[in-house]
Amino acid sequence: MDDYQTCPKCKTTKYRNPAMVLMVNTCGHALCESCVELLFAKGSGACPECKCPLRRNNFRVQLFEDPAVDKEVDIRKRILKEFNKRQEDFPTLREYNDYLEEVETIIFNLVFDIDPTNTNKMIDNYKKENKDITQKNRNRQSQEEMELEELLEAEKAQQSEKANLYVNAELEEKKQKHKAREKLIDELMFSDADAKSIVASHVQATAALAKEQPKAAAQPGVVKSSKFSSGVQIGLRGQHTNSFLPIPKQEDLPLYRYTAPVFDYDGPPPPPIEKLGKLNYFANIRAANITERAGGYTEAMSCCRALQEALGGLFYSPQLMHKTAVLATNSSTQDTDDMETT
Amino acid sequence: MKLNVDGLLVYFPYDYIYPEQFSYMLELKRALDAKGHCLLEMPSGTGKTTTLLSLIVAYMKAHPLDLTKLVYCSRTVPEIEKVMEELRKLMNYYEKEMGMEQNILGLALSSRKNLCIHPSVSKEREGKVVDGRCYSLTASFVRARHAADDAVPICDFYEGFDAHGKEFPLPPGVYNLDDLKEYGQMKRWCPYFLARHTIIHANIVVYSYHYLLDPKIAEVVSKEISKTSVVVFDEAHNIDNVCIDSMSVKITKRLLDKCSNSITILETTISNMKENDSKRLEKEYKRLVEGLRDATIARETDMALVNPVLPSEVLEEAVPGTIRTAEHFIAFLKRVVEYIKTRLRVQQVVQESPAGFLRDIHTKVCIDRKPLRFTAERLASLIRTLEISDLTDFSPLVTVSHFATLVSTYTKGFTIIIEPFEDRAPTVSNPILYFSCLDSSIAIKPVFNRFQTVVITSGTLSPLDMYPKILDFHPVIMTSFTMTLARPCILPMIVSKGNDQVAMSSRYETREDTAVIRNYGNLLVEVAAAVPDGIVCFFTSYLYLETIVSSWYDQGIIDQLQRHKLLFIETQDAAETSLALINYIKACDNGRGAVLLSVARGKVSEGIDFDHHLGRAVLMFGIPYVYTQSRILRARLEYLRDQFQIRENDFLTFDAMRHAAQCLGRCMRGKTDYGIMVLADKRFSRADKRSKLPKWIQEHLKDTNCNLSTEECVQICKRWLRQMAQPFSREDQLGISLLTLEQLQSEEMQKKIQQRAQGV
Repeated sequence: MDDYQTCPKCKTTKYRNPAMVLMVNTCGHALCESCVELLFAKGSGACPECKCPLRRNNFRVQLFEDPAVDKEVDIRKRILKEFNKRQEDFPTLREYNDYLEEVETIIFNLVFDIDPTNTNKMIDNYKKENKDITQKNRNRQSQEEMELEELLEAEKAQQSEKANLYVNAELEEKKQKHKAREKLIDELMFSDADAKSIVASHVQATAALAKEQPKAAAQPGVVKSSKFSSGVQIGLRGQHTNSFLPIPKQEDLPLYRYTAPVFDYDGPPPPPIEKLGKLNYFANIRAANITERAGGYTEAMSCCRALQEALGGLFYSPQLMHKTAVLATNSSTQDTDDMETT
Repeated sequence: MKLNVDGLLVYFPYDYIYPEQFSYMLELKRALDAKGHCLLEMPSGTGKTTTLLSLIVAYMKAHPLDLTKLVYCSRTVPEIEKVMEELRKLMNYYEKEMGMEQNILGLALSSRKNLCIHPSVSKEREGKVVDGRCYSLTASFVRARHAADDAVPICDFYEGFDAHGKEFPLPPGVYNLDDLKEYGQMKRWCPYFLARHTIIHANIVVYSYHYLLDPKIAEVVSKEISKTSVVVFDEAHNIDNVCIDSMSVKITKRLLDKCSNSITILETTISNMKENDSKRLEKEYKRLVEGLRDATIARETDMALVNPVLPSEVLEEAVPGTIRTAEHFIAFLKRVVEYIKTRLRVQQVVQESPAGFLRDIHTKVCIDRKPLRFTAERLASLIRTLEISDLTDFSPLVTVSHFATLVSTYTKGFTIIIEPFEDRAPTVSNPILYFSCLDSSIAIKPVFNRFQTVVITSGTLSPLDMYPKILDFHPVIMTSFTMTLARPCILPMIVSKGNDQVAMSSRYETREDTAVIRNYGNLLVEVAAAVPDGIVCFFTSYLYLETIVSSWYDQGIIDQLQRHKLLFIETQDAAETSLALINYIKACDNGRGAVLLSVARGKVSEGIDFDHHLGRAVLMFGIPYVYTQSRILRARLEYLRDQFQIRENDFLTFDAMRHAAQCLGRCMRGKTDYGIMVLADKRFSRADKRSKLPKWIQEHLKDTNCNLSTEECVQICKRWLRQMAQPFSREDQLGISLLTLEQLQSEEMQKKIQQRAQGV
């Protein structure tokens, strides 16, 4: 791709001599390595193109196709070492932008040799005026750089962690499948049960496993960031008020069946609520008036409740009570122990 | 007929309706009521388009405040035309029933290439050239120049539109592309700008995906579409790839060289302008200092360059000082381009995150993130200021500027891959930088956020639950409809072995096996002997197709095949393929019968219908997995795994099966049609593959047909074909798969439809 790169002095091309390396100096004109050695045997000399004095030490390998860019980047790096104010050092964005433009102009002038005396003066002035800030900023990373570093770190950490996790999970899954299959074959070979039922139970077991798997996979899941790095929100969350949750999918669970709750009264069973009237319990109770009935209250309710309370706990044995009490005290002492040690 | 869909009066332009169309309407109405997004799968050939249009139009009429506009996105121009035809039928029916003109305006929009009526510009063939020439005739500065000097050419049609067109809105009605052109000719207005101007107040807009999904175009065209619109993506099974493509950038060495050229052009133009007319540059500079967003950006003709997605708070900020003056910006661009050039000089493949790239560009050429972010915006402004009328040369530079902006804006969901050479030709140096979007939800997110209802629909969307995951949205309705059929008119079969009991599979290990290839050949020959008219075969890749055909040739299978039918092959060349297709159709039409060998994911599998005798059988040789070694794919799989907890295999199988389904669906384009679907790979019979086929195919795939040999398959085919060859009239369908209004309203049918809706 760089076959047409040519040394301007000896006209060697990259195509003819693949080992050729082009070098550039501060003036931004390229020379091949052997020409540099030839021309600058003494350590210093003039550039064959622009005749400006150069030192051999300053020759570097040309990075970019256009040597002018090499030169510019070189100057830029030098200047930016001095001009390293941050946005935080300015009261407004406007001033910061003006400053940036000024820096850019200085670099531009240096690259194209426009008005060198004035430019150098400006640089010197700036150096004098802003010594402190320059020093301080050199040791301080800009916010942007820090952000980037952070991102890179996070990426690295995530990658190594994730890779291991998923590889392991996949291996584990394969192993399990293999095991299950072997188990099935073994059973089919050795057990006396009906082959159909064995296969059926195997299918059930694998289905159950498959149901568990996605849960397990989801657990190590990352906390999904809710924002892109640009600050745009991901997805609908938060932003959009009329977003909807998906309709819950009906799962194939066994149907719910009602079973009456069993109460342990620790006593003789109280008469059921429907029979209270027949057994004449209401005789001792104030009948509900019309307003109370309107609210759904009947005397049977309070009567039934009173009976349950009266009978509950009649056969209660204190031994049980003792046990639980002991347990309670044990745990409380443990608690206090813990407290002391910490 | 007039239907009552859940309390909504719907005018349906046909006398009969399929039961699944009615269920589709029910579901769609629910989604519209809930103002949420939905995902609907209904087999091709059951009238999705009519159903969608008639329900949504009815809803718009009933609730004019809740729903103001329908945006219908389709893929190709012929598809857009089809939608317009259906819409016209519907509107005619409305007019006939209600006896008056309807106040509904529907129009299609396409590129300048399809809409231009300028006598010389419209002769151009390439879309980009048309755009460029149009720009050079209509840009605001060209027109300003024309005002001063009559010799500067302008477009009369645009002038006509600009002078009068804006005050006179298009009268209500349905306009397809030809109608727009005709109207433009009559009024001497430019149809393209007329259409773009009209979208804002049209009730129904039909255009291509890109106008909504590609951030660069969406910004200009679809910006002003109101929130209360419903957006329909038809044939949306590939929507995630469209999203990804619209955000990805590919940079080659040649492109960068062209960039250098255009930078030099810019440089000379700037220095010229400095000498002659420095005022304009100063004006631009001042505007940038003030941080005002371009006022001229609103001017519709200057749209050639737009910014890719940027958060608005960034756009409101002033352009950073480093790239404020034109010369500095040129130097900046040079550095960017040179830097990318050095990056392309690699010996092995490099994969990097955007953050890593940003850090590297900072250390190497001292470019901060912020000016990089403004590159696209700044370049657009510069080109406008320089009044460059020929934009076609600058497209490489625009691409690079988009890349710069994107890479500095998004640090998540993207990756940079630099490949020094192609995998197939490792000796030829051909470095390419891929800036690849991994997250399909980024491009489509604004659409979901902005519009109250987005309908994603296609004939093949199974498995449905994958789409909400990869597009990151919450659908309120997710349903797959099956086809009610009066007779079993599709016959899916899984053929897993040849007559010699050797398993058939396109697995990597066995695909070169001559026994497998021979078995595939025998299968095709025997099916070709039994099935009349056209047969379409799909292979997993062009490479595989070529190797198989060459070894069939050696084995004499091609000769045997040609005894029964003519043979046509799809190639990567579009012209060649379309010629093959024309002749294939000819051979089928005159009864000679033909076999077309084509490739899944190719042109044939995506856009061409083989209805009736053109496709009596589809054979799928192997599972069409993507090329899994591709680095871009690997990166995307990794991203999906980390961000969405989708396992690699799940995604690969999903992708393969949706393409397989797409291929199989080619042969069924309606209820009177019938076709055989042969899946020739052992692996199709596994539960994870089988369950990912669309419901309407799964329904007919019986367990007994899941593990057949070639001979058994041919026997079943023969029996089934004899059954299908019996005369079949509309009366046979009536009451089962085709309903009149009375039948639809009958209690029994209502009950069935209710059951169907709940069953899914």
